[in-house]
Amino acid sequence: MLDSRARLALLTLGVGLLVIFRGSVHGDQRYDDPPFLILQGVGLPAVDVGLMKDDSHGPDAPETLRRVAVRATLKGDEALRSSASFRPGRMIVRFRDEAPAAARMSALRDAAASGIIAERPSYADFDVVQMAAGDDPVAAARVLMEQHGDVVMYAQPSYRLHTMFTPNDPLYATNQWNLPLINLERAWDIQPAAGSTITVAVLDSGLAYQDATILATLPAFRDEQGRLYPALGRVTIPYSAARQVVPASNPDRIVAPRDFIWDTNTPFDFDGHGTHVSGTIGQLTNDGVGTAGVAFNVKLMPVKVIDSVWDFLFRAPNEATDEVVARGVRYAADNGAKIINMSIGRTGPPAPVMEDAIKYAVGKGVFVAIAAGNEFEDGNPVEVLAEIASRVKGAVSVAAVDRARNHAFYSTAGSYVELAAPGGASRGFGASGAIYQQTFFPDMTDTFLLSPAQYRAPRFDMIGYIPYTGTSMATPHVAGVAAMLMQQGITDPAAIEDALEKYAIDLGAKGRDDQFGFGLIDARNAMFGLGLAK
Amino acid sequence: MKLAIALLLTLAAAAPASAQGVFGPSTDAPLISLRPFMEISNEKFFATKTFDAIFGETSARFWGGGLQVTVLRDRVYGEIGASRLMKKNAELVGQRVFISDGKVYTLGIPLRSTIQPLEISGGYRFHVHPRVVPYLGAGFGSYHYTEQSDFADASENVDVTERGGIFHVGAEVRVFRWVGVAVDAKYTHVPGILGSGGVSQQFSQNNSAQARPERDLGGWAARLKVVVGR
Repeated sequence: MLDSRARLALLTLGVGLLVIFRGSVHGDQRYDDPPFLILQGVGLPAVDVGLMKDDSHGPDAPETLRRVAVRATLKGDEALRSSASFRPGRMIVRFRDEAPAAARMSALRDAAASGIIAERPSYADFDVVQMAAGDDPVAAARVLMEQHGDVVMYAQPSYRLHTMFTPNDPLYATNQWNLPLINLERAWDIQPAAGSTITVAVLDSGLAYQDATILATLPAFRDEQGRLYPALGRVTIPYSAARQVVPASNPDRIVAPRDFIWDTNTPFDFDGHGTHVSGTIGQLTNDGVGTAGVAFNVKLMPVKVIDSVWDFLFRAPNEATDEVVARGVRYAADNGAKIINMSIGRTGPPAPVMEDAIKYAVGKGVFVAIAAGNEFEDGNPVEVLAEIASRVKGAVSVAAVDRARNHAFYSTAGSYVELAAPGGASRGFGASGAIYQQTFFPDMTDTFLLSPAQYRAPRFDMIGYIPYTGTSMATPHVAGVAAMLMQQGITDPAAIEDALEKYAIDLGAKGRDDQFGFGLIDARNAMFGLGLAK
Repeated sequence: MKLAIALLLTLAAAAPASAQGVFGPSTDAPLISLRPFMEISNEKFFATKTFDAIFGETSARFWGGGLQVTVLRDRVYGEIGASRLMKKNAELVGQRVFISDGKVYTLGIPLRSTIQPLEISGGYRFHVHPRVVPYLGAGFGSYHYTEQSDFADASENVDVTERGGIFHVGAEVRVFRWVGVAVDAKYTHVPGILGSGGVSQQFSQNNSAQARPERDLGGWAARLKVVVGR
């Protein structure tokens, strides 16, 4: 076996030859290369770093806070930390179908003189209005809603979303307390196929689903403390698939991948969150390697709607805003997904564009699971998407429990919480309290968390079983069980919600409550259903 | 059922020689007679929604036998009979379900049920016709019900016996001196087994007229009996 340095040297040599070869054929100059290029399929398998005791992906971990802060700083948006910020210069508007173009333009001029209706994006029944950066989209949306209701169904700023950063734990027999906690072994007895006919869309930061080599030009930047990180120039970044999620022997497991951050069909994960979440839903199981997943035979549809720090530094054209996620929801529903997992969210004003999209998906027979949020100790704000889920039968909001079946300290509570699932918590349990799945080794990817002197290009080819915690981790448990229920015969999203709620293990106050909703999901009992007399 | 009625009419038309010209119990009828019988029946269950959800059908055939005793020269009778489902292994086979908003979702998990009635009844036989003897009776029964599902714990299976009531009305035709054929309609009311769990509980949560039958394992049955003895 080659050690990781030798592998990197080999890879660099290979890519260098490839670049030289390309230059000689096409006459390209190195400096004319695009700032970001992915050579798909050019790369080596991942270096397996095994089980990690990493503690950097919990809601209260310092690294989590810094990731958010760096991302906010890079975008020049101090308010991003509150997750209620919006993208400047944009507004989402759904005009009434019967409203003529002249009336639309007149209303728009009244609300924002600089507003221009951009070409309608794919998978959208709404328009995106581009406006001068100095114009206030909140005020403009308010004018449209209050004074032009005859022309506009809704208008809202383009609010940003983020993953429900959380947190950490390892291998099934020794570390995956979370799967037995939802009575999953007995559910697998009933359905050994574990969701083989169902496609689950994971709307997240992407998925490490193929090997590649990335050529990127990394600019200098300042972090939230004002420290200057130097430009790294042109770098070659190795990228490997998480083979316990997408085995080389079964590439067909991936269905209709889509990247709404880069507007491509190659949703590479540059964060690790989406890969971790996908692993909880469908990581290979019973193969003698690593950890298990819930519905381990489902097909996965990675839909990238969340951008990471690296996406920004790679100069992605889009970011995780309401309309991007709404398009992702519609895309998944239109391309065969039967379950959508959204371990993402935001707080702040309502999101009618998201509500429309979620209703659209449920109307097409798609069950939607949405994280309830991780801010219980940070003012416990209402999570906008989770709140929508509570009003749509067939979509559910998911809170987190720790390994003792207590309310996870971070899990947002409210009247909109419908179900609970294992999200883990390191507080009181250490690393053994987290959720472990295969994803990137953060020491190699989150190099922007190092000091400027130590800062280096990331590597996305070192993969291990990394502990995360949060409602992001709880939600894919629900999505996986929902996939199994759908395969078992409960084909209606509303009925799946009924089944999950009816058979949930009541925790906390008797009956539905704000911390656990109807309780902790019970996969086996939901799947076992009813007999004649019992 | 039609076949049974046709058979009964045919047999009635061909009256036994010993009965011709007789109106009432034959004078040589014994004071007490022991008459074994065999029976088949087709029962339409009251809990139609429940049975339809699990088995996709709302009725089932039974077969069985018993012993009838007539006294007072064939005017009063009592009988004891046992029966079981006329199915392979005497089981109804269906599958577990989930119900949401009134819609039934089948889950593909096999469920097998048995129903074994043991019934005791008595009544009066009306000798109003030389060949046909109408009768009317009532009684009670013990009903042993089992339910087993694949992947179930022992506690999730059902093995219970409850009492119920019977009412029946029918007619017997004596086709030979020692053989009679009877057709009757039998009503059974069997509370206590359905309604406290499973689909039957789901369908009987309110107290409406439509809900009450889902708590009853009984039903209406058409029964054909072959009786041996005088």
